[in-house]
Parts: sequence; structure tokens; C-alpha cells
Amino acid sequence: MDAQKVDMFIMTNSKYFEAYHLNTIRERLLAIDDSKWAILSTMQFHEPTTSLIVSILAGSLGIDRFMIGDTGLGVGKLLTCGGLGIWAIIDWFMIQKAAREKNMQKIQQILY
Amino acid sequence: MQLLVSKHIVTEHEAEAASNSYLMSLIAIIGGLPLPIVNLIATVIFYFGNRKSTWFVRWHCTQALLSQLSLFLMNSYGFWWTIAIAFTEKEISGNYIAYLITIFIFNIVEFVATIFTAIQTRKGKHVEWWFYSSLTNLVCKA
Repeated sequence: MDAQKVDMFIMTNSKYFEAYHLNTIRERLLAIDDSKWAILSTMQFHEPTTSLIVSILAGSLGIDRFMIGDTGLGVGKLLTCGGLGIWAIIDWFMIQKAAREKNMQKIQQILY
Repeated sequence: MQLLVSKHIVTEHEAEAASNSYLMSLIAIIGGLPLPIVNLIATVIFYFGNRKSTWFVRWHCTQALLSQLSLFLMNSYGFWWTIAIAFTEKEISGNYIAYLITIFIFNIVEFVATIFTAIQTRKGKHVEWWFYSSLTNLVCKA
């Protein structure tokens, strides 16, 4: 893929990924062909900051986990009232990373 | 306690996650009082959540976990001793007071060290605690 397009993509979407993933993403994007650009540019990613806000406000109901696509964990969190509050506290600190990891999984479907 | 420059360049997200491992144990202490186990459970889950992360994050999660583990053993003994005095015919002895003072000092030292480490790791600095860092190096291989 064209280097200019890749750099533009990285600049616009870097907040959706872990910083240490960016190099891998860039290298893989340069290697794949241009036909994937249309799918890539219209891809929707989970916003880590929104997940954090939802986690603080409705974490004990598991809404944050539902939002990033972890339905199983969301149901578990809902039934245990946020793991008696402990899991809800942990997720305040982990949900942003989890959202970025989910985004990485999503983009990997195109990269490989 | 030793303040070291990290061997590799620490990215923003790594520093944030490493700092969070300490910060979270503090929040869990406040959330879980007076039960001494809540912060340990929180640190264990956080550790398992970050098992596949980079070395810097894993190392600091392990150090946070090991420090919480030793503190948990001391606090639990103090907690059940207090329960025994409150609900059975055991009496408050000199040993009990001495033990309470000891765990109080340990908790304060650990609390201050945790805050300090959370601040420094957020800046990407590698903080190694006395005793715990050697244990962490054994557990967490590069």
C-alpha cells in the first residue's frame, strides 16, 4: 500500500491502538495491496476513552464489556454485580487496553 | 529502592499500564477496607489480564503482586487476631499491640512506596524495590 496513505491512516487512528502495535500495523499495511484500502478506511474502531467513561459510570452492570464486544465477560460482570465491585474497579484500569486490543484483533483480519 | 533508567524505550501506553498496576492496588485498598484480601484479588486479576503484555508492564505487575502478597499475609493474621479478641475471650496483649504497630508501619511504607512507584513508572522510569525486585526478576523473565 502507498506509504502516504499508510501514514495518514496511522496518524488518524493511532489512538485506537497500543503504541507498541503501531510499528507492526505500519509494516503490514505497507506490505498489503491497495485493494484493501476501501475496507480499511471505512473500518469502525472502539473508542478507548468512551469505554473508560462507560466503565466508570456503568461498570458494575458490565456495559463496558458489552460495548467492546466481550459479551460473555459482560454477562458475567452483570450477574456478579461487577465481581462484587472488585472487577469493576480493575476494569477502570484495564478497559482502555482491552478496547485497543479488540481494535488490533479487528484490523488483523485485514492485515493477514 | 532503586530508580533505574529502563533498558528499552517505554511507550506511553506501557508506562500507563505499569503505573496502573500500582494505582489500582491503592484504589482497591480503599474500596476493600477492612478486608485485607480485596487488593490482592485485584492485583492478581490485573496481573493475569496483562500476562501477554510487554516485559515492562509484566515486570511491574509482578512486583505489585508480590508486594501485595506479603502484605496480605501480615494483614490477614492481624485481622483474624483482632476478630478473635473482639468475639472470643482472648485479651489484648503486649504482643498484639506490637504486631499491630509493625503491620501499621509496613502498610504505611508500602503505601508510600506504591504511590512513589506509580508516579515514576508513569514517567517511564523503572523502579526496583529492595528484595521484591530480585524476586520479580526470578519470576518475570525477559
